[in-house]
Amino acid sequence: MSINKLENQKSVIVRKLDIRGKVCPMTFVYTKLALEKMNEGEIIEVLLDFPPAVENIPDSCRRQGLAEVLEIKKIDRNKKVWQLNLRKV
Amino acid sequence: MNLSKDQINRYSRQIVLKEVGGIGQERLLNSRITIVGLGALGSPVAYYLAAAGIGNLRIVDFDIVELSNLHRQILHFSKDINKNKTESAYEKLQALNPDCNIEVINDRIIPTNVKDILKESDFVIEGSDNFPTKMLINDACVNLKIPFTIAGVLRFHGQLMTVVPEKKTACYRCVFRDIKDAPSGMSCSQAGVIGLVPGMLGCLEANEAIKSILDIGDLNVNKILYVDLLRNSFDFIDVYRSENCLACGDKAKDLVKIHDYGGNMVCQ
Repeated sequence: MSINKLENQKSVIVRKLDIRGKVCPMTFVYTKLALEKMNEGEIIEVLLDFPPAVENIPDSCRRQGLAEVLEIKKIDRNKKVWQLNLRKV
Repeated sequence: MNLSKDQINRYSRQIVLKEVGGIGQERLLNSRITIVGLGALGSPVAYYLAAAGIGNLRIVDFDIVELSNLHRQILHFSKDINKNKTESAYEKLQALNPDCNIEVINDRIIPTNVKDILKESDFVIEGSDNFPTKMLINDACVNLKIPFTIAGVLRFHGQLMTVVPEKKTACYRCVFRDIKDAPSGMSCSQAGVIGLVPGMLGCLEANEAIKSILDIGDLNVNKILYVDLLRNSFDFIDVYRSENCLACGDKAKDLVKIHDYGGNMVCQ
């Protein structure tokens, strides 16, 4: 698992968090820890493969006022891998 | 400070909480709490605070473990009889959470050493078994401006109050004035106690400490919680700061230096 800082053209910092192999609640724990280190408005891409987390992470982020969900997409149909894009609020 | 992988795992169920998170967990790990008394109240306090990842726990007691302690003082096991309570506690807490740096003070708290023992604490838990010590901790904490919580238990009853000197909340002396000794017959050894009563009150004391460190929720200030576990009643009694209080009032003095705490400072 790694957290990388990238900068896109709009100068919004994008972090990447790979939590494939993690299950709930650790999926949210790692997402939350990453979000806590970010500034408001910054975006994080989370890669995960534990199906319940696809709903649980956005739910918990909303409930705790941590981030808004920009996008949820399945990026690998065979291997069940999802990407969540979250913006820190 | 970055939490290690093991720490993230160990504290995951706290980090998940909105009120804690990684930031709160780091705050707990950087805090120092002093526990006065490793008996029936101090036992659950010490276990839960060590488990929660309080980074520095200062544990204070001078007593040794006796057989008659074991029904309520759950830090201590049968094999610990005749051992110092601090030593017995240290072994358990160290085994429970090696993250927790445990500072042992095997000494009786008296007016001449109390400030040294409490200094640099972010919070103090009073879990002794006698009024003179409770008053001494109150007066010293008020003087040092350290938030603290005091609990007491007897039979099936317990009571608890928290004091935040910086916010000028009512202190123990505002309520109990100059009480020096419990009325005769009012001690655990004479009146008896069900072990879980201090257990429960100790848990509430630990909760007060955690909330204070994290600056979340409400502390039990300006009121006394009175619990009767025989009748399952939980009552809150409002108490008020006294302007004339010798410890925290407008003309308060450093009582620790001048006051006669009376009693024999030990519950026999």
